[in-house]
Amino acid sequence: MAESDGDESQPALPSSEGGDISGSLSTPAPTDGDKPSPRMSKPGTKRLVLTASVLLSFLIGLPFLLKSTEIHRSPLPSEAIADLSRRLHSNPPSFPCVLHAVFLLSDRAPSGLANRMEQAISTQLLGFPAASTAGNISVSVTVESVGVCSSSTNVASPWRCGAVTTADLVRGDEVFDELLHSALGGGGADGMRVYTIVVVDSDTVEGLRTVIGKHRHAWVVGKVDETESVSIIGNAFVKYFMNGGIEEGEAGIVKGEFMPVGSDGNVVLSFSLLNADPSDWVYDWEFEKIGERMLIPVIEALQPIANINIESQVLYHTPKSSYSSSDDKLGANVLTMGDIPFFVNSNEWHLDTSISATGRSKVLQFVVYIPSARECPLYLQLPDGKLSKTNAFISPMWGGVVIWNPPSCSKTPGALNKMPSQELMETIEIFIGQLRQLFGLKSSYHAQIMDGVTKFITSPKGFAQCKSYYNFASHMHRGSIHPI
Amino acid sequence: MAPPLSPPALRRLLLLVLSLLITSVAAENVEEFTEELLLRPLPDRKALAHFHFRSSAPPSAAPSRHHHHFPKAIAQLVHQFHIKELELSFTQGRWNYEQWGGYDPMSTNYAKPPGVELWATFDLPLGEIDATWKNLTHTLSGLFCASINFLESSTAFSSPRWGFKLNEGNLRYGALPREAVCTENLTPWLKLLPCRDKAGIASLLYRPSVYKGYYHSQKLKLASSKSFGIILDQTLTVVLQPDSVRGKQLHSADGQLQPSWSMKDLFNRKLSGKCLVSKSSRVFFEIEKNIVDKVDKSGTEASWTNEIFVLSSAPDRVLKEINNMDGHSSSICEYDVSNYNEDAPLDVGVTWKLPLIWSCTPAPYHANRFLMGSGNERGSISLSFISTNMHKQLFDVSNDCSIKAVVFQVVPWYVKVYYHTLEIFIDGNNKAISEVVDKINVTPSEDKLFPGTLEMLLRFPCSMQSAALSLDFDKGFLHIDEYPPDANQGFDIPSALVTFPEFNSSRSYPETDSLFVSPLLRTFKEDGVVKSYTEVLLVPLTTPDFSMPYNVITFTCTVLALYFGSLLNALRRRTGEEERELKKAGNPTMLICLPVYDAHISCVI
Repeated sequence: MAESDGDESQPALPSSEGGDISGSLSTPAPTDGDKPSPRMSKPGTKRLVLTASVLLSFLIGLPFLLKSTEIHRSPLPSEAIADLSRRLHSNPPSFPCVLHAVFLLSDRAPSGLANRMEQAISTQLLGFPAASTAGNISVSVTVESVGVCSSSTNVASPWRCGAVTTADLVRGDEVFDELLHSALGGGGADGMRVYTIVVVDSDTVEGLRTVIGKHRHAWVVGKVDETESVSIIGNAFVKYFMNGGIEEGEAGIVKGEFMPVGSDGNVVLSFSLLNADPSDWVYDWEFEKIGERMLIPVIEALQPIANINIESQVLYHTPKSSYSSSDDKLGANVLTMGDIPFFVNSNEWHLDTSISATGRSKVLQFVVYIPSARECPLYLQLPDGKLSKTNAFISPMWGGVVIWNPPSCSKTPGALNKMPSQELMETIEIFIGQLRQLFGLKSSYHAQIMDGVTKFITSPKGFAQCKSYYNFASHMHRGSIHPI
Repeated sequence: MAPPLSPPALRRLLLLVLSLLITSVAAENVEEFTEELLLRPLPDRKALAHFHFRSSAPPSAAPSRHHHHFPKAIAQLVHQFHIKELELSFTQGRWNYEQWGGYDPMSTNYAKPPGVELWATFDLPLGEIDATWKNLTHTLSGLFCASINFLESSTAFSSPRWGFKLNEGNLRYGALPREAVCTENLTPWLKLLPCRDKAGIASLLYRPSVYKGYYHSQKLKLASSKSFGIILDQTLTVVLQPDSVRGKQLHSADGQLQPSWSMKDLFNRKLSGKCLVSKSSRVFFEIEKNIVDKVDKSGTEASWTNEIFVLSSAPDRVLKEINNMDGHSSSICEYDVSNYNEDAPLDVGVTWKLPLIWSCTPAPYHANRFLMGSGNERGSISLSFISTNMHKQLFDVSNDCSIKAVVFQVVPWYVKVYYHTLEIFIDGNNKAISEVVDKINVTPSEDKLFPGTLEMLLRFPCSMQSAALSLDFDKGFLHIDEYPPDANQGFDIPSALVTFPEFNSSRSYPETDSLFVSPLLRTFKEDGVVKSYTEVLLVPLTTPDFSMPYNVITFTCTVLALYFGSLLNALRRRTGEEERELKKAGNPTMLICLPVYDAHISCVI
């Protein structure tokens, strides 16, 4: 410091001294008389060097400082993640999809019909946006006419010639469905799944009738010409087999965005019976008998998607947290749609996450709510003023609630009642419908007529084979993207 | 010489086996829930309330997934972790063995060490037990909102073989003496009851009075087997100071007098009915043996109303203890809650007519534990036994008789106990270890791996008045990260457990109603080996200067700032130039001034 001072003052000192001397000489004033002489020399290089060295040493030290004060963060494989996401975007995972069309013709078929139809259906499918994104759909066609079968080049599934005839149609849809199933080789157990659409040429049926069976096949009955049948096959395939029968923007269906399956593939269905106020009445249920019997087929049907466990409990003193208003016209208490978000009372309903649902598995709560005597009977009111038929609602990713009003709403203090088994069965049916909705399907296909001509043969499991495959595919699709 | 197993004890054992058989038959594959409350006046003007809730699930071949009254979470816990037995207690305060008794089922089963104590036996191969224990601690910690997960670390739990409970190596024991217990632990515990605190006996649990008490211990005991399914016992033991307004009116001068109290004084509310799903709901009022004695001496029969005290309402039944050795027995008044409702609530209480002083039966020895030595380097633990001369009333004291005592103690690794320094003094005389210690099992601690465990079977001569054991230890050093918050407060050594295997505190009551047997009275009859927990020790350890890294950083930064600051200052400032600038700025004024000055001067001149 002293050195730099000296260095700095060296050129200045003489001048000031000189100024002083000259001032004292030229002016009568005793101090600081004259204007000081301008600085004569440049600042010393020594000073520059010193400044630069201090700056440099600081700059050199900076990385060490930063390094030593750094918080350790384990590195993320960001590059691999980005790579995977790029690859999935450019080449989305597609599942092999095979469509097999079978024509049962009553008259002789022109030669080369099978190949021609195959060509036509393939080009038609390319026109559908859903079909083109799904990846490669391979189409094969078999034409059976008067007991003679001719097939296009690559037949996907074995069609036993003559196993099904037009005459079998009169035996009913259920029987015909099973016949087709056996004719198609009982549904190959191997990984390659084939969707079959059978076009039955029949004069006896008026118009067109499409039936979707239980086992990945459908049939169309009626008098159709070639081009018409091609469009029917294409539509049916895309609409029912690829989209699971869901129309865009349809109400009451949970968007496929949320699949209530944990990422480890486990789902726990937790059923709870809630007695809002046990001082009015106490209800118990025989869930282990009736519930298990009704739900086990569902669990088996959903086995490919998720490993499902069922558990049940009965809880007491569990009031709802929204207020119902009494409706004199109906003689009941009603809950409007606006009250539903506040219905589940998480303070009092200790539904509990399950200990058996370890890790990242998902718990779906299904709740039967028994209102207290004060609010009995309790109904849900739809926005149009009508009462809900099922008296139930779902909450996506959480589960469903059914309100069950005790018969005649008469107080039975102290008695331990049992929920009638008929009512319990109905409630569980509603729950199965809710489960379908939570999985992104329509709650029910029973007696549902679409396009006036379509009919569904439903499986007693509530989840037909093709639906569960559809679900599986969509789940797998999301599952593969999930880690990003 | 140990007193031989007396015929009454054998009979009791037989009864126990029989009663267990009866329960398993009576279970009838239905889930059951019972709720009970026991009230008892204590000699030091306090009152004891003991809540007992039992839920049972029937045995089933497959793990049952459907429950009606039994809590789902507990059933899943038992199946998930293959639990044979489990006991978890949350305690605040210390059971006063001198005043509240040490030789009755309440003190042996429900007096627990402060903080959290957890032990469990598993039905698993020995190799899998440690991993299961770790998972169990995490699950329980989530279930009860407590830091039970700190018992996960192998430094926190031990596996005693016989000192705590005889087992085949499948028992794990852990204690957290510093865990604070409060209402956030009670709420999840209540959630396991079908009616929670909305109805029934649990509705009495008025939080301010429960947590104002002198002692409260909330316990959960699980037992599971193929023969009887799962039995869940939830108990809450509180010692409260009754609102003594009424007592003062009676005799305000005498501070020693018992206050009269009722449930309303204790819990600020009356009982207005049972939990509707409970199979039975009962309130018991226990009149201790020593009170019965005094009442008998006064000449009246010890029923619910007599010369000395009167209960607030007539009980439904009075049960007398099936007699033990000395002829006097306690009695219990029973109230059936289902007979009461909101219009006529139940308010059990006692009003004293005459001043009464009595005492509870103490354990054969009062066990206390101290810390000796000073400084941060070493110290010693000493355990003292002072005879209460209780056994002299029970046994014929001959010269060569002896009394067994089992000591079980877990010491954290940072208190490095030198077990060879064990010294035993009996009535002030140093005795050889082989004279007193019958059996000893020591698991030395390993730094940051295992705690030290000491199991010791002692044999004291009957004539002994006092005994003291001492063990020296070194205090270890911990890594800075291992210190808990507020390390300067000291470190807690969990309570030691002293068991007197020859003394049994179990009580049995006649079962008049064969259809209903009270689970609470049944637990009184079960294994009642006299136990007492010692105090928790607070060991001050050397704590590092936790602010040191801070200080270093601030010092370094100050030095650096000074260095860079002055260096840059020196480099940047050019004093000569500044002076020149100053002159440059100063000159014009000077020039204006000067003529004036000159003129002035000239003027003056």
